Amino acid sequence: MLTKKIVKLIEDNASELAKEIQGKLLQHPSTHSYQNIDERMLYDWIYDVCSRFSYWLDEDKEKGEVQKHYRNLGKERFSQNFMLPEVISALYITKRQLWEFIAAGREVESALNLNQIVETSVLLVRFFDHAVLHVTEGYEDMFRENYGYVASLENREQLAQAIAAKRKRQEGTYEESKLPTLCFTKGMIRLG
Amino acid sequence: MLEKLIQMIEGNAERMAEELKGMLLGNPETSSYQVLADITLYKDIFGIYSHLGYWLLRDVEKAEVRTYYSETGRKLSAMGFPLHEVVQAQAATKRHIWDSISDAGIMRTAKDLDSAVDLITFLNRFFDMATYYVTLGYCEALGLQGESGSETWNAPEVSTR
Repeated sequence: MLTKKIVKLIEDNASELAKEIQGKLLQHPSTHSYQNIDERMLYDWIYDVCSRFSYWLDEDKEKGEVQKHYRNLGKERFSQNFMLPEVISALYITKRQLWEFIAAGREVESALNLNQIVETSVLLVRFFDHAVLHVTEGYEDMFRENYGYVASLENREQLAQAIAAKRKRQEGTYEESKLPTLCFTKGMIRLG
Repeated sequence: MLEKLIQMIEGNAERMAEELKGMLLGNPETSSYQVLADITLYKDIFGIYSHLGYWLLRDVEKAEVRTYYSETGRKLSAMGFPLHEVVQAQAATKRHIWDSISDAGIMRTAKDLDSAVDLITFLNRFFDMATYYVTLGYCEALGLQGESGSETWNAPEVSTR
């Protein structure tokens, strides 16, 4: 696989990258609440992503472990009074730092090197898309548990009703117009 | 070359918007999108694809991204969309753009690939903001807004060649 070299580079520099990302999260205005959690815990969380990058990028883990891990993280951050946009922002800041590290190694003349970078980016983006999705699901679980909030369209019956109502509206829109039809009678045009 | 990649999307915006619309409507993980009028969903997607260059490169301050997506989040929240489906749809849109470019087989030379790296940077920058603000708007509509909830995202400048 082309990406091996880059992934290894990230894992080898995990400690340095984790410190950089931690610094960004502590300073960024959109991740304010991260100042309230234990710095060591924050560092360990980031270090875990960077040092086991190949483990996390493994496609087989997407459905199971990534889902479980990030859903739980969503629940945990909710309990720590973090707002969901903050948690999402933290994940994006982490992704961006990793991407900048990867893209910094680009050699303009080398198609092989650039191919490796593009291929790694696909894995990186896919992983963080899943992480954001599952963190969101974890939050939704907590909305349900703590506030009894469930989005109405999550209810199958309400969804079916809303879809039926939409179809009815759309059918109305496509109804044939009641404009008079044109009739041709012996070369003359008259309205039917 | 970056512009060429963007123009490829803009030039195929109609077909691609139809394609993504079909994907969102057919995917059980984004089933709430079935309640939107087909034309509304199409127009929303077409609006992004047909002006991709503007969204990625020219809305420098990202003020419009903030306004548009916060409002979208509030609107979808009021309509009863589950948030994870909204997040899923954002990711699907980004993936659709990238897959279309990737499948077109136009990235052959080192120069093409170098531009692709730039495009990845801009695409992610845009969709990260879009997802952040759509979530922010959604949470605001539910009355959930924390200390940093109103902060501008202030994404760091992207370094491209």
